[in-house]
Amino acid sequence: MTDFITVNTYWTLWLLAHLLLAVTLVGALTHQAVAVALPVRKVAGPAGFVTRYRAVPPVGYATAVCILWVLTFFVGSYIYTKYRIFIRIPLEQGGYYKTGGFFDFKEHVSTIGLLMLPAYWYFWKNAQNPQYDSARKWTTIVLCAMCWFLFIVGHVINNTRGFGS
Amino acid sequence: MNTTSADTTGTTARAKSATASKTSLASSAKFKTFAITFSASGALAYCLIQFFNFPLVTYHPATHRLVWGYEGPRPGEGPNMLWYGWTLTALIVCSVLGVLAMMLPERISAKIPLALIWLLPILAVPYIVYSLMPWWVQAASH
Repeated sequence: MTDFITVNTYWTLWLLAHLLLAVTLVGALTHQAVAVALPVRKVAGPAGFVTRYRAVPPVGYATAVCILWVLTFFVGSYIYTKYRIFIRIPLEQGGYYKTGGFFDFKEHVSTIGLLMLPAYWYFWKNAQNPQYDSARKWTTIVLCAMCWFLFIVGHVINNTRGFGS
Repeated sequence: MNTTSADTTGTTARAKSATASKTSLASSAKFKTFAITFSASGALAYCLIQFFNFPLVTYHPATHRLVWGYEGPRPGEGPNMLWYGWTLTALIVCSVLGVLAMMLPERISAKIPLALIWLLPILAVPYIVYSLMPWWVQAASH
């Protein structure tokens, strides 16, 4: 691989892939969480942006969310090896302990989110069953909150020492 | 915005989409038990595995060495990584619990509270914050 691109470019491309997958995941989960938490009633007049944002059919996102979470998780796990050597050690040397701590927080949250996916998928694939309405709603909202947390921490880490470093 | 009906566009579309997309896996009672048990035990299993430090493997990124179980950092070999091992152990433990739950009569497995799936991850947050105390202590003293 290094015959074609530099090592730095190779890892930067993987970091970008992680970012793009995460953006897609956070977008899909937010649409779904908003749609399930604040469902849209039929409107007589023209729907505004917020109403249209909430009006997506949330069932269709479930499998995509699971696939995106797993893909983002795998790519993140791959680049994590480089983080441990080339990012975390300089962070500690620079005294960025809160940033490092929040990254470790992120790794735990990403695994717990991964473990929630089978039930999340099952609840959405049985969306017509009112028995799962509450669990489906809160599982989706918690997963969405986790995803935003992971995204923001990843963003801050990248700003501290990430892209191109 | 005028509300004219109690029916929701989201619900209608949801029901149609759900009917169309329901797979045999989604309609399986066994898979239901597996998925709910797997996810309900996930947060607790992961926290216990991390607390008692039971990684399936330890990875040494500087030397690309992967070993079974726990192995501390060795002199001259850089740091060790346990998170991969904790995750793999959690996946195995939750899968085993899911399979065991599938063997139970449905009247018992149906009693697993569904709220555990989203409530335990929230309750795990204080433990996770506590487990990361060395970071916060260093940040406070720096």
